[in-house]
Amino acid sequence: MSKTAGSLFAFQQRHAPYLFVAPFIVLFCTFGLYPLVKSVVLSFYITSGPKSQVFVGLENFLFLLADPDFGKACLNTAVFAACSVFLQLPLSLGLALLLNRKGLRGRNLFRLCFFSPRLVGMVFVGVLFSLVFAMRFGLLNVALHALFGTSLELDWLGEARYVMPALVLTSLWMYVGFNMIYFLAALQNVDETLYEAATVDGANAWQQFWHVTLPGIKPVAVFVVVLSTIGSFQLFELPYLMLQNSRGPDGAGLTVVMYLYENGFVTGDLGYASAIGWTLALGVLIMAIGQMYLGRTWKKEV
Amino acid sequence: MGEDNPIRKALLYAVLVLAGALTLVPLVWLVACSLKNSEDFFAHVFFPPLDRFTLDNFRELFRQMPFLRLMMNSLFVAGTTVMVQLFFSSLGGFALARYEFRGKRVIMIVMLATMMIPAQVMLAPLYELITRMRLADTYLGLVVPGAVSVFGMYLFRQSMLQLPDELLQAGRIDGCSEFGLYWRIAIPVSRPMIGAFCLIAFMGTWNSFLWPQIILQSKELFTLPIALNQLVGLQRQDYGVLMAGTLLSILPVAGLFLVLQKEFLSGLTAGAVKG
Amino acid sequence: MATGNPQRGETFWDRLQDLFPFGLAPFIIVCLTALSGVYLLVQNVLLPQDARRADLSMWTFARQHYVAYEQARPAFEKRHGVKLDLQNVHGEAVTNRLRAAYWAGLDLPDVVEVEISVAGSFFRGPEDGILFTDLTDFLTRPDPADPRRRPLMDRIVKTRLSPYTHRGRIYGLPHDVHPVMLAYRADLFRELGIDPNQLQTWDDFVREGRRVTLREQRYLLNLDKSGSSCVEILLFQRTEPNSPAGYFDADGTLIMDNDKAVDLLTWYVPLLVGPDRIAASPGMFGQAFAQATQDGYTMCSFCPDWKTWGFQHDIPQLSGKMKLMPLPAWKPGGRRTSTWGGTMLGITRGCRDRKLAWKLAEHMYMDANDLGDRFRELNILPPFKDAWSNPAFHERRPYWSGQRLGTEYIRLAEQVPPQFGSPFLQLAKSKMGEVLASCISAYRPGRTDELRTFVRRRLKEAADEIRRQMKRNPF
Repeated sequence: MSKTAGSLFAFQQRHAPYLFVAPFIVLFCTFGLYPLVKSVVLSFYITSGPKSQVFVGLENFLFLLADPDFGKACLNTAVFAACSVFLQLPLSLGLALLLNRKGLRGRNLFRLCFFSPRLVGMVFVGVLFSLVFAMRFGLLNVALHALFGTSLELDWLGEARYVMPALVLTSLWMYVGFNMIYFLAALQNVDETLYEAATVDGANAWQQFWHVTLPGIKPVAVFVVVLSTIGSFQLFELPYLMLQNSRGPDGAGLTVVMYLYENGFVTGDLGYASAIGWTLALGVLIMAIGQMYLGRTWKKEV
Repeated sequence: MGEDNPIRKALLYAVLVLAGALTLVPLVWLVACSLKNSEDFFAHVFFPPLDRFTLDNFRELFRQMPFLRLMMNSLFVAGTTVMVQLFFSSLGGFALARYEFRGKRVIMIVMLATMMIPAQVMLAPLYELITRMRLADTYLGLVVPGAVSVFGMYLFRQSMLQLPDELLQAGRIDGCSEFGLYWRIAIPVSRPMIGAFCLIAFMGTWNSFLWPQIILQSKELFTLPIALNQLVGLQRQDYGVLMAGTLLSILPVAGLFLVLQKEFLSGLTAGAVKG
Repeated sequence: MATGNPQRGETFWDRLQDLFPFGLAPFIIVCLTALSGVYLLVQNVLLPQDARRADLSMWTFARQHYVAYEQARPAFEKRHGVKLDLQNVHGEAVTNRLRAAYWAGLDLPDVVEVEISVAGSFFRGPEDGILFTDLTDFLTRPDPADPRRRPLMDRIVKTRLSPYTHRGRIYGLPHDVHPVMLAYRADLFRELGIDPNQLQTWDDFVREGRRVTLREQRYLLNLDKSGSSCVEILLFQRTEPNSPAGYFDADGTLIMDNDKAVDLLTWYVPLLVGPDRIAASPGMFGQAFAQATQDGYTMCSFCPDWKTWGFQHDIPQLSGKMKLMPLPAWKPGGRRTSTWGGTMLGITRGCRDRKLAWKLAEHMYMDANDLGDRFRELNILPPFKDAWSNPAFHERRPYWSGQRLGTEYIRLAEQVPPQFGSPFLQLAKSKMGEVLASCISAYRPGRTDELRTFVRRRLKEAADEIRRQMKRNPF
């Protein structure tokens, strides 16, 4: 190798890591960090589109705290998140336990089947389920009518008290199978010998579950819980599409992100939207950190 | 370890089959609805009698919107985004995993922190930035912000930490450049993870609605979710057409998944289990 | 370890993997991207480029309007020797796109049709930020072609200008009048012995409704229970110049929680819920609506001129069985109609040649011959009274049992109540829908006083929320 080739080689060897992360860093700073920081600034303004803005200090946040629509959005989002964690995940775990049974035939087929809803994007699920929940000919009403004789007129998406159950049911359909995959993988990684030892100790099935299975899958469980929580706080497409671009009856489908979208991109107040965004972010951060602390297995790999 | 009690086994299968049926029924209904005409919607729950199957919904769909164009748009946007994400994230992840350099800690902390912040907080200023760069209503404005995948970076870092050191050393001895190490050694070994990531990223972009809805204004540039949403809002709700459109929009991703499912599922779980 | 030198026994796949080491999934994606990229490139190259070189551009959001304007376009282009770019932008997208175009500096159309409920939102920004040009002068000046003719303002149904007026200036040319009648199943009325001439007031109507309603099978009226559309119609019907009813009054003050609104909701809710109900909510549009009307599930529904087309198109099998009647009045001799929906034409600030744009507006909106033909197709009554003498407006329609559609609506046109716009109109409408939904949930049959209290409280809450938003607006 010639001298120039040699020094070129040495150069790239020394600077390789910087060059490798550079494109990512550049993009990240421009389209990630800058907007993040700018949104803090924006939240102190009231705007009418990107061109006209008026500085108002903390007024956006004060208004936000007293805003009943925001309160409703937070409530809806929180209820949905709670259902996601406390309804969805136990079901996923249960399903995974069932599928984990030894000697089960067709496991792959079942796995594929349960995973398939995840392939349908939230947008398309919203469209599909806006019809599933329709009155008089929607799949759910027809099925319930045939099985239990309930009224065909159940207006899932037209009456405020049915909207959240409809949303939760839809999210169950979408995510139980998906989260089950994670749990299944985790279950299959739990050490067999632990179970044998427990049986020898005389532990019954429930005790084995509590003392062997659960601790064994804890890292994955925490991961799934945190992911689910963050995901459900960002709920927007599903209610927006199911309720046909509206908030739903009496705002029953209003979520925080939907409220953000309305204020920022329909009314044009990007400042208020940023204030909403940051309040959401803070809330999610606190929740996520809290959950991970509770999980107590989070290792910072730095 | 399982009981061989036939009753329990039967019960197990029954529950699983029931759950499976519940999962598949809406999808079957989707297909059925797209093949029914409007009268049959109320008359038959699933499929109409064989002689009343109709492709009219699809014909009407293609009449109302340039579906092929929309699909190509979605394909192009999703594909480009995934390619860029893949390249930049794997390269960056490789660097973060296998090198020590100044600023690495800072980068990692910032990355981890931002992973927990929901993306919507950036929507407003990002929109303002893109419009000021005069990239509103263009694919550049749509794809470039989406090309940043912190999740991907993290994933690849995790995966590349597993690379056996000897492999890389052997490469260096052979006279490989650093980039060559990445290209020739790290990448081929990480294929399962790459497969999984690609599918997740592709699915994510294909189905994404909020950002394209905000950025894209011209009809010619619309992606499938936006176009389908406009179908929903029409006062004359044509359910059959809606279902036909939804069905066709799902098929590409479903097809991709069917072809690549093994890679996908294994890579997905590998990432999760390692935490 | 492959170093780029082809080795013995290396297959095509190996070479490929050298070149592209990422694996099968990314490879497929790259191929698909390339495919779609090529397709898009070809499409862009083949698309006619001359759309950009148009002298004037116009957007409309309703497909039927678009079809009508397409037909009128060649005549305009020929007469003025210009090229017109006409685009059909989907409904709600017009608003988004307009706003985005204005904010992001994208191409604004010269002339655009905007729906009545969103028109006000363009008046939200700073005074010089209003997207549309002030048209007051165009409307009040005498006709340059015929100085003896009265200005346009006098030849239009004046109340149709109010939604598009802001601080005394007019920003939109109204497209329509949209009087509301009741469309009813004449055959079922005959069977059940209901005489539409006896239904002069709402009290009469409700009385008959109680007589003929059969739970779960047959209701007299189709009413919206989760949205504000029917509530609005009834509310506007009650407005008087010195005692307004509606969302906002002429000064832009929010009045949606006034006594008339409270009375209306207290009257409305028991029509839908409880043992005395006479109405159901199968839906106001689409297949659900068609099915319900065809089954006789609901026998009457609110029908502005534009909705008649939907009947004819979606439920052709009811031809000859449907008829229209004026709305029952609130008190004897009172107003027999209301209004629902509307479109305006606006000239945006981006327009370079305002005079030409105005000529386009005149051509598309006011050409009497076109208007006659258009009425035959779409049944929409224009606000330009000169056109009403065209015989096309007075033809008998077999679908509507031989009624003269135009004549009926024209008769009611001058009674159409005014609506007043505001940047917060959309918010008010959605809030009204919320109030309605919560009142319906809260109603216990028989407890009308409780309902009234609840309605008053709920309306005030909703209105106060809107007032907070209005106060917050610094523009």
